[in-house]
Amino acid sequence: MIEFKNVCAAYDGEVPILKDVSFTINDGDFVAFVGTNGAGKSTTMRLCNGLLKPTSGQVLIDGVPTTELRVSELARRVGFLFQNPDRQICCETVRDELLFSFKAQGNAGPEAEERVDQIIETFGFDPAAEPFLLNRGTRQLLALASIIVTAPPVVILDEPTTGLDFRECEKVMRIVKALHEQGTTVIMVCHDMEVVADYAQRVIVMTGGKAIADGPTFEVLRNPQVLAAADLIPPQVVDIALRLQQAGAAPASVTSANTLTEMASAIGAYCAKGGAC
Amino acid sequence: MIEVKDLTFCYRESSEPVIHHINLTIPDGQFVGITGAAGSGKSSLTYTLNGIVPHCYPGDFYGSVTIDGKDTCETSLTDISQLVGSVCQDIESQMVSSVVEDEILYGLENFAVPKEEVAARVDEALEVMGISDLRDRAIAGLSGGQKQKVAIAAILALKPKVLVLDEPTAELDPASSYNVFSLLKRYATEHGITVIVVEQKIALLSDFVDRLLIVENGTICFDGAPSQVLEHADELLALGVNCPRSTSLSVALRQMGLYAGPVCKNVEEATAMVKEVLR
Repeated sequence: MIEFKNVCAAYDGEVPILKDVSFTINDGDFVAFVGTNGAGKSTTMRLCNGLLKPTSGQVLIDGVPTTELRVSELARRVGFLFQNPDRQICCETVRDELLFSFKAQGNAGPEAEERVDQIIETFGFDPAAEPFLLNRGTRQLLALASIIVTAPPVVILDEPTTGLDFRECEKVMRIVKALHEQGTTVIMVCHDMEVVADYAQRVIVMTGGKAIADGPTFEVLRNPQVLAAADLIPPQVVDIALRLQQAGAAPASVTSANTLTEMASAIGAYCAKGGAC
Repeated sequence: MIEVKDLTFCYRESSEPVIHHINLTIPDGQFVGITGAAGSGKSSLTYTLNGIVPHCYPGDFYGSVTIDGKDTCETSLTDISQLVGSVCQDIESQMVSSVVEDEILYGLENFAVPKEEVAARVDEALEVMGISDLRDRAIAGLSGGQKQKVAIAAILALKPKVLVLDEPTAELDPASSYNVFSLLKRYATEHGITVIVVEQKIALLSDFVDRLLIVENGTICFDGAPSQVLEHADELLALGVNCPRSTSLSVALRQMGLYAGPVCKNVEEATAMVKEVLR
């Protein structure tokens, strides 16, 4: 469990980036942080794994303040995928990269080797490949794999799909979904609202260093006040539903749809019942 | 005007061409979007338009690329950069200054822009990108999205005739991405600047560009207005290019026999379509 209690944070000690932020992320949650550039999302992520300490308030991991946890302990509990995989990759082969986290945590051994083999098979990596010669999508997958290889209970993903094409994005998110289904807590910063809508169960909206909304994904993404306050553009199906609702141009079954399948089915059912089609 | 004639290019270290026999004419003021799967050759295609290929990345170059009648192989990179402004995919590699204002000034000074114009150009570039408040900030302390806006502002200040941008909104939030595309559209329409943008966000491309190119294996598979290209939704998916959900909704309603019109390329069209279907 990760708890933020009235957290304030700043990089230079002067300009506040986070202003009195409080929330609790429970074990097994899949939470997306959304908001404009500079809203404080990535800063929040850095506080979650102790890369940054609060200037006031507390960040607690399983009840322990991050200020009291050693870096290795924080890394064991919270895996962090950076926005840019090239800031994370540091070894000369894929296999060494995957072993690096174990070595950094002092856990290299036969079990680590076995786990690395499993991950190589799952991701379909060439263990001898040079990481920096891989394409962007594969480097992102490698960075993700090198985080989850040690099976941290919490994984933080800072814009995991940025710069990926559709197929690569689907592959990364399928893996993240499977991780979550196996019990990992997933905390994700994401600008792609379609990805947020497709995968996150809960959304926290940030703007100006504050968390202004926190709730089930579609409850938040359908709230016009929240969307306006945070300058958010909802996923397209929600956008269509909200426009139809505002215009009074569709029955509730259609305007309450959140996904493509739901909306197409609702329109089909309405027409089949003799709606006016 | 940009003219690409029977262009084939193979990087020196590669055995296979990355561009295969591409022919392309882009008139002044057109807003062109390029997309495709990773490794399809879309970034390489833009490198041939801004002279990076063959001047920085040498290789076997067949055919020709001309910008305003100037052959990119016979024109120096310095002269090409007076015509073509570029925003790289990796903006960190583009930044040369430590403070935002200096970053904007760098290009202006190098291009010897008259002193009396410089202040106005800096102000305008910062204002159109909505980052006037970042003028004195250290670049190292900016978020990825803010850096991206600075990189675009620095190029806009140079007022090039052609703008080539490689995933300029990759790290931007949706509202900022929308604003950047609105701005690019306005630049193309009002100033006659040709804008060529490589982008993975298909919904943005569909909504804004005049012309959409789908690149696969170094060739242009589809070339047309977004609504024409999106008619090939299934084929695009096979190429690793997704369609906007608005398009998918219109395709689904067609398959259900409820709609017979053209595919929708944005939320406005899809909303109007649903209203029509329910009427």
